[in-house]
Amino acid sequence: MSTPESGCGAPAGGIKVTAGAGDQSVVQGHVTSSGTPVPSGYARLLNADGEFVAEVPLGEDGGFTFYAAPGDWTLRILAPGGVRVERAVSASTGTITELEVAV
Amino acid sequence: MSRSDVLVAADWVQDHIDDPGVVLVEVDEDTTAYDKGHIKGAVKLDWRKDLQDPVRRDFVDKAGFERLLSGRGISGDDTVILYGGNNNWFAAYAYWYFKIYGHDNVKLLDGGRKKWELDSRDMVTDVPSRPATSYRASEQDRSIRAFRDDVIAAIGNLNLVDVRSPDEFSGRLLAPAHLPQEQAQRGGHVPTAKNVPWSKAAEEDGTFKSDQALTELYRDEAGLDFGKDTIAYCRIGERSAHTWFVLHELLDQPNVRNYDGSWTEYGSLVGVPIELGDGK
Repeated sequence: MSTPESGCGAPAGGIKVTAGAGDQSVVQGHVTSSGTPVPSGYARLLNADGEFVAEVPLGEDGGFTFYAAPGDWTLRILAPGGVRVERAVSASTGTITELEVAV
Repeated sequence: MSRSDVLVAADWVQDHIDDPGVVLVEVDEDTTAYDKGHIKGAVKLDWRKDLQDPVRRDFVDKAGFERLLSGRGISGDDTVILYGGNNNWFAAYAYWYFKIYGHDNVKLLDGGRKKWELDSRDMVTDVPSRPATSYRASEQDRSIRAFRDDVIAAIGNLNLVDVRSPDEFSGRLLAPAHLPQEQAQRGGHVPTAKNVPWSKAAEEDGTFKSDQALTELYRDEAGLDFGKDTIAYCRIGERSAHTWFVLHELLDQPNVRNYDGSWTEYGSLVGVPIELGDGK
């Protein structure tokens, strides 16, 4: 968990949710290519105005986790070879919204 | 100062990777990235363990910085090329830090680790061994560092640039959306601050936008008065180091300071003014 002493950096894959979402609005999932995890790439979260909000490098399992606010967001995946894929996603309080993204 | 004095492209690094006198340094908060693979010859700096005092909330002192760079085999006349993850936030923070301690010959790799990875360039796991040096740092240059009282005094007087996301600026989020939202401080921003998220200064691959696009962004769109001094802040001070780099190093603005501590300090202060709501 983050404390004020730690920075704002995103660890690979994001910080995994281990129990329930609590009062967080979690958006998480995995990126795969032909069924295989994509470990080298980035997941970006954009708000309803298309503004950048956060980015994490994908984890070894192609995973990503965001702690958003309730509402509509766009997830954008960047990966080597010019891969750029988007998905719309809605987050709500106390819910873990799961997304599996094939690129 | 021009862009080529402070920034190098990935191709330049590829061509100069083995030059003596050029030291690549990867700076991250999550240093497992370095351990999994880094640019050939790069040494690592851990933003938290190496650059922060282990007890007080402050920098390592001059003697600590000298010990750190001596141990990494870096000399005062080396050209240090910094890069890292998170779109170079921590590398920009380290750049600012190197400047504070008087290391002039330091540059950022444009796009950092992300651009290097998205280009599918080679990465290695070998850790280089560099003989220790006797690095000598200068006294801290306070002219590029702001403290909380400077920020309070700047309200309504100087340019204040809040470089966090619009959602953090408005008070809807207390931290970037990849971190849990559990901090104790109040949400919002310093009154009269303009919200120019750091991400607007960078392309999607992490490289900086052109000088012309950056000037339009800060001066024309955000309405920064380029005739006045500026303080940049974020939540901690790494993202605002990225913006400090843009304003001070790329756009040559003379008096720009980065507020280390930023919202984690300001949002916890008792009795200071806070403004809520979206940027104008």
